[in-house]
Amino acid sequence: MNLDIGGPGPGCSSMRVRRLLAGELTGVEKERTEAHVASCPRCAAVQEEIAAEREALRRDAPFPQFAAAVAEKLAHRPHRSFAARWAPLAAAAGLALVAGALLVRRPADTDAVRSKGAASVQLFVRDQRGVHELAPGGRVGEGARLLLSLQPAGRKRAAAVLVEPGETSVIYEGPALNGTLPQAFEWTGSGVATLLVVLSDTKVDAKSIRSAADAPAGADVLQVLLRR
Amino acid sequence: MNVRGLRVVVGGRAGEIAAPGAPTPAGLLAELYEKHAAGVYGRCRYLLKDDAEAKDALQDVFVKVLGALPEFRAAASPTTWILRIATHHCLNLLRARRALWRDQLRMAQAGRRQETESPDRRELVRLLLALASDEAQEIAVLYFVDELTQAEIAQETGRSLPTVRKRLREFLACAREALGVELQGGDL
Repeated sequence: MNLDIGGPGPGCSSMRVRRLLAGELTGVEKERTEAHVASCPRCAAVQEEIAAEREALRRDAPFPQFAAAVAEKLAHRPHRSFAARWAPLAAAAGLALVAGALLVRRPADTDAVRSKGAASVQLFVRDQRGVHELAPGGRVGEGARLLLSLQPAGRKRAAAVLVEPGETSVIYEGPALNGTLPQAFEWTGSGVATLLVVLSDTKVDAKSIRSAADAPAGADVLQVLLRR
Repeated sequence: MNVRGLRVVVGGRAGEIAAPGAPTPAGLLAELYEKHAAGVYGRCRYLLKDDAEAKDALQDVFVKVLGALPEFRAAASPTTWILRIATHHCLNLLRARRALWRDQLRMAQAGRRQETESPDRRELVRLLLALASDEAQEIAVLYFVDELTQAEIAQETGRSLPTVRKRLREFLACAREALGVELQGGDL
């Protein structure tokens, strides 16, 4: 007995049919594949299979449920990167934020030696209304992006972390830039979160920051309360 | 008000979020879903043979894709790239329960002896994968399921053509031994 278990045939390839339907083929390859598929029963069967896959997807995993599940998994990924977490999570959930008041806390034990001017931060929002500074209690539209701007007042190092119940995400760690950080973010968590910005003359290990008390001695700690 | 930063962000590291003219974040996921989710789900259902597990795997694959957007965008064929991710993910799940997988093959072998009709070739390939090495498994899926040529597989996987051919022959040899019949596949 001789069994045929498949493999590419002359001109036949299920992947090429998929690529054709996905718009990935161009020029001669596209023309040749279109001509072949039009008269090939085997490739016609592949097209039917692809149509059946689409139907199964719509039935079993419609986009809203799929997106919510992906967002959930992203939210529980350990040690994921900032971009990997926030961008897709926002893609799936698209939550709105309400920001609280901007507070400045300087650890008491450093006040006596601190001689530089006061550091501060601003949080900008880009939403349907355009770009504006986040006012205390101000509402941010759906899908809004947030961008932090630092006024480090001579501080050398900065870290920004978003603290939520049970987890902390690093948003920035590096030089204390005077101005906006290189990357915007979207918060798609729920409840309340605190954006902690630490400005210091010494290195700041952002991953170790869970609260203002974790900042290096002498650092300025600024907090922005975010509410959903 | 300083708004320059927002413009910088749009074209910068966060470009995958919102490059000018690019889909919004929600649009990005929707576009990926529209273009690739059906194929990924089909691949997961084929390999895992369980709709609930396949749905879970579909989500896991997209989490991986979202974490590797630069690689995805750099791929010569995004469709091939994402299906390889799906295949790899599902094969890993199957390897974790290889004993069960081989049991399925034994049952199929036993059932086949009583049948006069040819078995579903793709299902047979799926079961025979249980006997192959990890590398041969992936190459066998690219060849027997995705129907890439040996040259295309070599290009896609970064392996040499002789290595691809060797792995496919290994796979066929395992399959012949298990089924006790001559097998033929593509141009092997």
